[in-house]
Amino acid sequence: MCTLHLIKHKSQSKAYSSSSHKPFFHIQIQESMAIKKLLFASLLICSMIQSSHGATKERLFTDLEKGALEITATPSRTGEGVVLAAGIDKLSITWKVSSTATKEPEFKTIKVKLCYAPISQVDRPWRKTENELFKDKSCPHKISSFSYDPTVKTAQSFDYTLERDIPTGTYYVRAYAVDAKDHEVAFGQSTNADKTTNLFSVQAISGRHKSLDIASVCFSVFSVVALLVFFVNEKRKAKIEQSK
Amino acid sequence: MAHRNEEEGSIGTSMHGVTAKEHVFSFSDQGEDAWSSHSVQSDDPTAMFAFPVDSEHKAKVFKPLSFAKPHMRAFHLGWISFFTCFISTFAAAPLVPIIRDNLDLTKTDIGNAGVASVSGAIFSRLAMGAVCDLLGARYGTAFLLMLSAPAVFSMSFVADAGGYLSVRFMIGFCLATFVSCSYWTSVMFTGKIIGLVNGCAGGWGDMGGGVTQLLMPMVFHIIKVAGATPFTAWRIAFFIPGFLQVIMGILVLTLGQDFPDGNLSTLQKKGDVSKDKLTKVFWYALRNYRTYVLFILYGFSMGIEMTINNVISEYFFDRFQLELHTAGMIAASFGMANFFARPIGGFASDVSARFFGMRGRLWTLWILQTSGGLFCVWLGRATSLPIAILAMMLFSFGVQAACGAIFGIVPFVSRRSLGIISGLTGAGGNFGSGLTQLPFFSSSRFHTADGLSLMGITAMIFTLLVAFIHFPQWGSMFLGPTSDNRTSKEEHYYVAEWTEEEKLQGLHEGSLKFAENSRSERGKKAAPDGTSTPLENENPANV
Repeated sequence: MCTLHLIKHKSQSKAYSSSSHKPFFHIQIQESMAIKKLLFASLLICSMIQSSHGATKERLFTDLEKGALEITATPSRTGEGVVLAAGIDKLSITWKVSSTATKEPEFKTIKVKLCYAPISQVDRPWRKTENELFKDKSCPHKISSFSYDPTVKTAQSFDYTLERDIPTGTYYVRAYAVDAKDHEVAFGQSTNADKTTNLFSVQAISGRHKSLDIASVCFSVFSVVALLVFFVNEKRKAKIEQSK
Repeated sequence: MAHRNEEEGSIGTSMHGVTAKEHVFSFSDQGEDAWSSHSVQSDDPTAMFAFPVDSEHKAKVFKPLSFAKPHMRAFHLGWISFFTCFISTFAAAPLVPIIRDNLDLTKTDIGNAGVASVSGAIFSRLAMGAVCDLLGARYGTAFLLMLSAPAVFSMSFVADAGGYLSVRFMIGFCLATFVSCSYWTSVMFTGKIIGLVNGCAGGWGDMGGGVTQLLMPMVFHIIKVAGATPFTAWRIAFFIPGFLQVIMGILVLTLGQDFPDGNLSTLQKKGDVSKDKLTKVFWYALRNYRTYVLFILYGFSMGIEMTINNVISEYFFDRFQLELHTAGMIAASFGMANFFARPIGGFASDVSARFFGMRGRLWTLWILQTSGGLFCVWLGRATSLPIAILAMMLFSFGVQAACGAIFGIVPFVSRRSLGIISGLTGAGGNFGSGLTQLPFFSSSRFHTADGLSLMGITAMIFTLLVAFIHFPQWGSMFLGPTSDNRTSKEEHYYVAEWTEEEKLQGLHEGSLKFAENSRSERGKKAAPDGTSTPLENENPANV
């Protein structure tokens, strides 16, 4: 429900949506027909924003146009059982707009993301696939984002080096076409609808360092030795005092 | 004339003042009565201490802002050591969103590691009383701090779920500092104020579980900004709790003192103290059914608190899509409420005892713990962030105050086995934490939100066990004291823990005195001027 408030509020941005503003209007009370017109107009605008606000909250993945973008991701090393190394190996990503795409005039930006294959989502609810776009957590890693140039009709490609904070897992690549309102309208992915083909595996960096290991051992040894030194020292002092 | 000091040094009685009004005489002749003097005077004018002390040189006043040696220094070293160990044990929890990506953990792995982190202390808390008797409070504390510091540092080696679980298990042993801290304050502060002292030490130490949720994400963020990649930064962040432990260990050994008169190794008290037999003390603890009830009850107050320390940051991070440090801040406020919630719980227990006696204490415990469980259910149901935070704060107060209230009851369950029962109750907390994490938070069967609600419901069900704690001399929640003339005396209850031969030797004297003073647990029915009925000796051949 749209609510009109007579008090002006500072609009606050919410965590889940960037364009969520509940409209609050500052109204000076004056005897005028213009006020009534203003009220009516604002009610109209309010309800329109409400509907788009509501639409933002309920935008579903199934509403997006499938296959509007054709995208392939070729790892720099391929083969049976090859696991890519994060921070070292690359993906060569090629994409173009499909000839069957109907929403193409709305495309403003292309966002390319790295997404978890189903096998990497098992027993990991923080990577779950949800139909509501704002809840979906299956594509958290941004590969690239660039503006769409409608004049270029041929396939374009770029290279992406796997970032050092990519976790170990099995992935595919998905590209969202985003309109001027920053809403996804279409997508394409490098695998099939069941997410079973063209998947690639990544091995994360371990995060361990020789210097860290050495520091860890040094401090541990110090801790134990310091304790023993205190202990032995006190026992010795006690013995000396007793023998006096 | 040497005072026969049966308190100090005897195994099993070392825990004799683990909070609440434990009216333990620290000296055997009845001439000194600390309560009759209005101004607190030192009972030993030759002692040169900053505070008035009793004949054992235990402090008779508690001044939290002072660092005077040896009493207040021991208090601060004790609670800060306990606080540091809480930081280390739960340091991984706010960083789990990063760790789970680095080590490729599943929800099961994370849950199992959480269980492991609290399980080690079940055993170390049981053993700690005896360790402190043997080595003194300083070395008991320092051993825990400095021998578990290597476990904290070894987080830098961890490469998979198994390593993660082992390291968290080994770090968890240091939660036994709860026992060493209580031991240390019990030898430094006299029985009349030990309740407040231990309530503060316990509450402020528990705060570490909250502070770590703020500290670790902050340290992680600073290290990341300094240039490290996330999967390395979290490992470096663990060096901070490690350093804190080593520093505290050294401070304890250099600044601290085992007893008011000096350190264990330089004192020669052990020679003339009669120790109670450990097996007997254990036997009387195990024979008392109330021990088991308290074990379970503390598992659903302290246990739940520790479980929440492990899961709440990740919960807020995932459910409400918050930043890591925002989730940490919210999670921290849960643990920080301990600063006042636990002492208030103990205080509420004492106040209700003034009017309704032990029955008041039991009702207070039931009310606090059940409301804690209720708000836990609400927390799981909350879908908006402000409601979730409100539910969490009310939940934290209920559950932490219940912890304080339980230790208002523990000292009265047994006089002879007080140390063991306090240690067992503490271990029950850890056991309950493992017990709640395993089914509710370690598998993908439940959403974490449902796990929280189910945990709350389970807590409310088990809290009904409070109704089964019945004292013949004081009653229980629903029953009054027995009308039988013999069993309705406090003396009968406490002296029943001694055999005839032991009574012939007069070993039960302490229990008799304790029984006399515990008459305050009758509530308003106790004689208002504190005079007692003549001591009844079950055995006419008295000493």
